[in-house]
Amino acid sequence: MAVVQNHVSLSGLSHVFEDGRAPLRVLDNLTFSVPRGRFLSIIGPSGCGKSTLLRAIGGLLHPSEGVVSVDGEQPGRAQGRRDVGFVFQDPSLLPWRSVIANVRLPLEIAGNGRVDNADPDAVLEMVGLADFRNYYPHQLSGGMQQRVALARAIVFDPSLLLMDEPFGALDEITRSAMRYELLRIWQSQAPAAERRTVVFVTHSVAEAVAVSDRVIVLSKQPGRIVADVDIELPRPRTEEAERTQPFLDYTNHLRDVLRAAA
Amino acid sequence: MRVVTRALVTYVLPPVIACALVLAFWEFYIAWKDVHIIVMPAPSDVAERFIEDPEFFAREAMWTLYEATLGLLLGSLAAILLAAVMAHSRTVERTVFPLAIIAKVTPLVAIAPVLVIVLGFGTTPKVVVAALLSFFPMLVNALTGFRDVNTGSLEFMRSMRASTWAIFSKLRWPSAQPYLFAALRITYPLALIGAVVAEWFTGDRGLGVVIYVANANLDTPTLFASIAVLAFIGIVINVALSLLERRVLFWHESVRTTH
Repeated sequence: MAVVQNHVSLSGLSHVFEDGRAPLRVLDNLTFSVPRGRFLSIIGPSGCGKSTLLRAIGGLLHPSEGVVSVDGEQPGRAQGRRDVGFVFQDPSLLPWRSVIANVRLPLEIAGNGRVDNADPDAVLEMVGLADFRNYYPHQLSGGMQQRVALARAIVFDPSLLLMDEPFGALDEITRSAMRYELLRIWQSQAPAAERRTVVFVTHSVAEAVAVSDRVIVLSKQPGRIVADVDIELPRPRTEEAERTQPFLDYTNHLRDVLRAAA
Repeated sequence: MRVVTRALVTYVLPPVIACALVLAFWEFYIAWKDVHIIVMPAPSDVAERFIEDPEFFAREAMWTLYEATLGLLLGSLAAILLAAVMAHSRTVERTVFPLAIIAKVTPLVAIAPVLVIVLGFGTTPKVVVAALLSFFPMLVNALTGFRDVNTGSLEFMRSMRASTWAIFSKLRWPSAQPYLFAALRITYPLALIGAVVAEWFTGDRGLGVVIYVANANLDTPTLFASIAVLAFIGIVINVALSLLERRVLFWHESVRTTH
């Protein structure tokens, strides 16, 4: 059996939406790979195809051209093994289900016999909402709802986590707290080699630098890679580190790139 | 206790006072103009007639309510099943919807005599008329409800490779609940109307028959008492549906914001 070095690989990926009046090219010839256990952010101006890219990696969308592989296979295969977790900008919880029932939803969808190692209560504990297991979504704040969505995404313990602007709808203070909460959960998987691979779409430069090992910047439509920057800041990251010069150097550089790309 | 009192004062007292005023004016007008009882009974005449034999009205009302409820259930069930199929197939929707519209625009009073000929004089024609009247509003609401799902939730379930059945039972069906309740508020009174009208044509029992016979005999107190009983049933159904809705739709904005 071949050792798969890269968890996610894209080669010559392009996508054109045909359903509009004129074909709309949103992604143009993207090629990059993500090694297992890395935290990658994708950043770019609105409409650069970030979400489309994430959907292609998650197997929710067939790209017009190019190849996506997850674990060396088609994305659908990894998805079929429940090895991919999704978090969207809208928590999209089911309002008639309690918190714990929402986290249990993926297990119910998967059916019996595939849920042996999943423990919804443990996952809820991990995101710090054990006390709220019997609450309903409308009783929770936006940040808490998004934590439930995260718990729901990782209840199968997937090795790949795809996050589409997960904190985009939150206020600045909650948003900043949530990124370190996410990192805490991500780093709780030790050793580092066994951590989840995360592909994180955002439009906040500070957020991308704070959480990532690597940041890819896309140009505006159609999205092309205009920068691919390794973030060599020590982990674990802290909020204080956001005031240090290395952090600011990264954000300044990325902001320049973004301005040139837009 | 204070909450209950306040609720009574806020929600029950105003309509009760309004009703009492209307009845008082009515009673006064009949006495003042000396209206003959064949033309219009006074509220006191109607009440007297009802108190004379409440069991009679209750028994006849139960028949009408039974026919209406059975028709409502059958019509709603058919509508929901069809809407579930239509929600997944535009072809079925395009094929069936025009037929449903024809059934809807054809006047009930035109269909009722035909149904009597075809279905005889028993309970069946009344149930069928009630079912026909319930069908269309439920079909339209259920179809909208099954389609009006949160796109994020749908996307998430697709990302979990949920089956069509899983998406229906765990997302579309619960999402449609507010629409189904809205439909019931329209269709239950319609089913009652349907049962009464069908009884006019074919009945041997039920409030429709009572109204028909009382009308022929110029027995206005019985006529008005029957109408009052029908109105009362309508109010009870409405209140019962509201209470049920509050319990079932505790998660929905429409219920949460009225607390």
